[in-house]
Amino acid sequence: MTVFSIHAFDPPGDVPALRQQVRTLVATHEGAWDPVRRTNCWATGDRAFSRALGEAGLLGMIWPKRYGGHERHPLERYVVLEELLAAGAPVGGHWIADRQTGPHILKLGTEAQKEKYVPAIARGELWACIGLSEPNAGSDLASVRTQARQTDKGWVLNGQKIWTSGAHEAGLMLALVRTQEGSQRHAGLSQFLIDMDTPGVIVRPIIDMAGNHDFNEVFFEDALIPHGALIGEEGAGWKQATAELALERSGPERYLSSYLLLVALIDAVGEDPDPQVTALIGRLTAELWTLRQMSMSVAAKLAAGDDPMVEASVVKDLGNSFEQDLPKLVQAALPADFNLADGSKLARVLRHLLIASHSFSLRGGTREIIRGIIARGLGLR
Amino acid sequence: MSENRTLLLDSAAALFDDLAGLEIAAAWPRFDAAGLATLLVPEDAGGFGGDWGDFFAVLRLAGENTLSLPIGETILATRLLVDAGLDVPTGPLSIATSLDAVPFGRHAAGIVVADGTRLTLYRAASVTAAAASGDPLDAVTGDVMASAPSTACTMHLGAFLRVAQSAGALDKALRMAMDYTGQRMQFGKTLSQQQAVQQSLAILAVETAAIDVAGQGAAAALDRGEAAFEIAAAKLRTNMAIGTGTSIAHQVHGAIGFTHEYDLHRYTRRLMGWRSEFGNDRHWAERTGAFALKAGGAGLWGALTARTDKAA
Ligand SMILES: Cc1cc2nc3c(=O)[nH]c(=O)nc-3n(C[C@H](O)[C@H](O)[C@H](O)COP(=O)(O)OP(=O)(O)OC[C@H]3O[C@@H](n4cnc5c(N)ncnc54)[C@H](O)[C@@H]3O)c2cc1C
Repeated sequence: MTVFSIHAFDPPGDVPALRQQVRTLVATHEGAWDPVRRTNCWATGDRAFSRALGEAGLLGMIWPKRYGGHERHPLERYVVLEELLAAGAPVGGHWIADRQTGPHILKLGTEAQKEKYVPAIARGELWACIGLSEPNAGSDLASVRTQARQTDKGWVLNGQKIWTSGAHEAGLMLALVRTQEGSQRHAGLSQFLIDMDTPGVIVRPIIDMAGNHDFNEVFFEDALIPHGALIGEEGAGWKQATAELALERSGPERYLSSYLLLVALIDAVGEDPDPQVTALIGRLTAELWTLRQMSMSVAAKLAAGDDPMVEASVVKDLGNSFEQDLPKLVQAALPADFNLADGSKLARVLRHLLIASHSFSLRGGTREIIRGIIARGLGLR
Repeated sequence: MSENRTLLLDSAAALFDDLAGLEIAAAWPRFDAAGLATLLVPEDAGGFGGDWGDFFAVLRLAGENTLSLPIGETILATRLLVDAGLDVPTGPLSIATSLDAVPFGRHAAGIVVADGTRLTLYRAASVTAAAASGDPLDAVTGDVMASAPSTACTMHLGAFLRVAQSAGALDKALRMAMDYTGQRMQFGKTLSQQQAVQQSLAILAVETAAIDVAGQGAAAALDRGEAAFEIAAAKLRTNMAIGTGTSIAHQVHGAIGFTHEYDLHRYTRRLMGWRSEFGNDRHWAERTGAFALKAGGAGLWGALTARTDKAA
């Protein structure tokens, strides 16, 4: 009864050299990075670093050259992603565009849309945000209400998105919107590419409990976007958004968000710590290793052209629990006189992750929804 | 999966069916006749020439069955003895880290203990204590039959064997849980229609997948050569999955699963036993912890990736 088909991870080319390329690039930039913001690093953007990755050919890696891509193998791209995450590089700015918006446009977009957006994403200059959630459409995404009405001049948008990560820094939103008035649930939805500088698109910050401004509310007040902003087929938005979510859930970011805390712990305790701490480090290392094997298998399945929806959910579920438990386990195992309030790197990183980790099993689909997908994979629903 | 492996699994499945319910005395001649004991012996030495992936697949399948036979132990002991240039005794064999805890010690015609430098083959003289959580685990006194230098380590190989069996046994427990909750009606619907039950079964499936992936990762490392870290990590992860997984399998079965008559315990009792055989969590966590500490914080990622990257 296997819900997880295992695929061999076998990228072409000189993989150690590719890793070295990323490690060198990180080393030349990391002096400017704050150790706390390097954890959960795909929530933090850095314009200069995104451009540097673009210049190095490490964005849009698998896209056609004529749209600024580099026609590399998907598993080479995976190697680059896991290196960036393990190094705590601030990749949050371009992450969404490189992961899902760009591929979505290449798959479904018109020639004009591809030319307008894809090369800029591959350069690391155009960042994107995900316009799915709304105040009344969370897990139940089919309840979206934001509306687009077709007029002579274009589509007129009204409504609201919420929890939109990076909307304040993004140039582009891929949004799921209702185009058929009075339609219900999965019917009558369409997807749009919305330029964030459109008049009537208003972004308001939401400060999260860690004190950071990462996500936002986005209001549409009679925002007029061109006819050519519709992507794919009118009315096929639900199916398209489901495909977009598959891109969103299958990468290594779903288990590595707390990895730098393990690194900080190992550095802080020295070579011969108390056996309990050694055992905890060992346990976390074993889990990390297992998750990495699983995540590589998902990448290989995807690269082979198969749909890894259930496998990706398995990795997200286990991975989110791992990255969420890690800070709590470290907190519990540290010596009794460890001062959580002091300025050491370990204390700062731990403090941040104890708070930030609450979001890991919410973003990108909650634990309960993900387990529902696994249950469906088992044939239970 | 290679075509060879498919054929191998088909014949192993037929053999395991054939052996079902037999006592060891009746089962062993049939097992011997099937030739599976030489699974890991190279073809040019007269064996089947299987790799560690084949071994994992066959012993996973054995784990799905309730055969109380030292199949994996015999396959491993045969390989180690052939590698060391020693004669292979006929009959069931076992492997152990010491004579204090020998799987199937009471039945073993030979017991292989190897610590990474030296391999010793013992003949059990007497069984001094017997315990069984699932399969028999005996303390024996033994006479040395032969000894030779060897880099093999029965702690590691035994752990890998238990990982493979656990993958099969927990998968079987998952299937039983799905079948049972799919039939049992409460509150006017099947238990499997209850969302709370579905979420539990999803966790059980996820833990089963973790053992499978960890086990195949360790098999791949063994096929590449040295696998001390991967086996340590896989056995530790397996022990964790057994803890979570067996609880769920029993929980969703209710009282019926706690009966002697119902088969679930035939899997979960052995899983609980295997969880401490060839290294419990503490043992392997010390090893994987030492690996990480030696690499250091900044070096850990590189140490992990270097173990899976093909050299350029
Ligand atoms: C840090 C962060 C970044 C995010 N970024 C984005 C973004 O960029 N773009 C975007 O569109 N969205 C984003 N989201 C939103 C995210 O996708 C939603 O939070 C998520 O889909 C859940 O919706 P909700 O918060 O409304 O919770 P609800 O749907 O109200 O759920 C609350 C709780 O109830 C549970 N629940 C709900 N329905 C069921 C059910 N049927 N069965 C069992 N349990 C159920 C949920 O699992 C959850 O535990 C982000 C969220 C976070 C935390």
